[in-house]
Amino acid sequence: MKNRQDLPLTHDIAARFLPIIVGLMVYLGCLCCVFTFFVFDATHSWKKQLTTHVTIEIPRLPSESSDTLQARVLQLLNKTPGIRQAAAVPQRELESLLTSLVGTTSSMDLPSLPVLIDVALTEEEPIDIENLEAHLKNMDAQIQLMDHRAWQAQVLTLIQATIVLTSTLTLLVLLTALIATKFAVRTSLLIHRHVIDILHLIGATDEYIARQFQIHILKQGLVASTLGAALAFLTFWGIMFLLENIGFSFAFKATFFVQAFCVFTLAPFMTSFFMMFFARHTALKGLYT
Amino acid sequence: MSDFIAQLNDVGHQYEEGPEIFKKVTFDIESGSFYFLTGPSGAGKSSLLKMLYLGLKPTWGSLRLFGEDPLKMKPSSLPFLRQKLGVVFQEFKLLDYLKVIDNVSLPLRVRGIEARQARKHAEELLNWVGLSDALNVYPSILSGGQKQRVAIARAIVTRPQLLLADEPTGNVDDEIALKLLHLFEELNKMGTTVIIATHNQNLLEKSPNPLLIIKEGTIIKTSPQRKSS
Repeated sequence: MKNRQDLPLTHDIAARFLPIIVGLMVYLGCLCCVFTFFVFDATHSWKKQLTTHVTIEIPRLPSESSDTLQARVLQLLNKTPGIRQAAAVPQRELESLLTSLVGTTSSMDLPSLPVLIDVALTEEEPIDIENLEAHLKNMDAQIQLMDHRAWQAQVLTLIQATIVLTSTLTLLVLLTALIATKFAVRTSLLIHRHVIDILHLIGATDEYIARQFQIHILKQGLVASTLGAALAFLTFWGIMFLLENIGFSFAFKATFFVQAFCVFTLAPFMTSFFMMFFARHTALKGLYT
Repeated sequence: MSDFIAQLNDVGHQYEEGPEIFKKVTFDIESGSFYFLTGPSGAGKSSLLKMLYLGLKPTWGSLRLFGEDPLKMKPSSLPFLRQKLGVVFQEFKLLDYLKVIDNVSLPLRVRGIEARQARKHAEELLNWVGLSDALNVYPSILSGGQKQRVAIARAIVTRPQLLLADEPTGNVDDEIALKLLHLFEELNKMGTTVIIATHNQNLLEKSPNPLLIIKEGTIIKTSPQRKSS
């Protein structure tokens, strides 16, 4: 084996803490990264739904007038530019929606509930919401138009801030692992100064000595980050299990699972590669000075 | 290519706020020659060798090794100059965490030779210096003489162009000292230039090779002569 270890780095006290730090950082980094993907993914689909749908609430009037009003509203909506489709939410769907929110609807007077009209907007043509609302109010002052886009911008800013924060945290976590690597290599350089001097005297180049560090750090990094990623995967799996049990499984899409799988698989390799690069750079710099 | 392996011109060294080791040392080492470097204790034999293996920079004067000025070379090029050297250190400088065979094969590995092949060469050489039964032991359990032979094997395993040995017979009895001398002479016959720093009078008397005598900060170079054996 050409790249055998000529420096006693495996017995190095200074480098013993490194796998623990790296393992922990990869664990946190993976979870942070997966959470970032989750928020990004969820926001993307949610944003699409919010920007392409508005809801209209028609109050219950004496039976005949109510149906007439609903028909007039639908007629208006079908004529309004920027609307793809408008349809009343079926009574059964409304019941099931209410059941999921309040538990049981047996004590409620369902026929007196307002009619909800789900309006799907086209993405190509903008809609004049204010004008539509004015027309609806002319028909009946109690008709409510719920445009979610009004508060969507603020929520999206908050979500984007969360994404930036979690991405920054992921980078900081990776940076911490790299800084720990740098300090471990620098300490090893000092500890093994006399051995390095001997290696230099027998003709070893700085690259040869730096390679000893980079191989050692790569091995340590791979083991520690694989363990960290495996633990993060178990934690992720645990969280998924819990969320599914409390009915939040709808939030996860197939693309998110692919992204999460990529994070857990690639994190050990990427972390180890960066650590190896950092170890080499630090060793060469230390040897040169 | 220069016929001189080493050329020192008015070289001197002074440690920071310390004594002057040499004043003006001038001598040339011809390719294929064999010299004993001798002089009283503390005269600077080890420092001079250290300068030749680039472990010490001259404070003044000029030094050329293999036709090149190491002081003007890029630091990254110095290892390639050192790879032409073999050094037997006075304190051996063996790596205690490596087995004897790995210590000896180390200079070959450093030069990019495949580990298995390097071990094969090292094994042959250790057999030659009489340490065939100590291949897989750690240097810490060896006697001074055995360590000396391991250090010599490590220095010559690469067939260096210049072999520098600092008191290589300091830890062995006269019989082994003579064996080692013959070993160095064999290497010299194969083309290696040899400089041995020693104050072993017995060795000096039994060898016909010329002397480099360090005296009062300068060097006196004697001619080759046959001494009584």
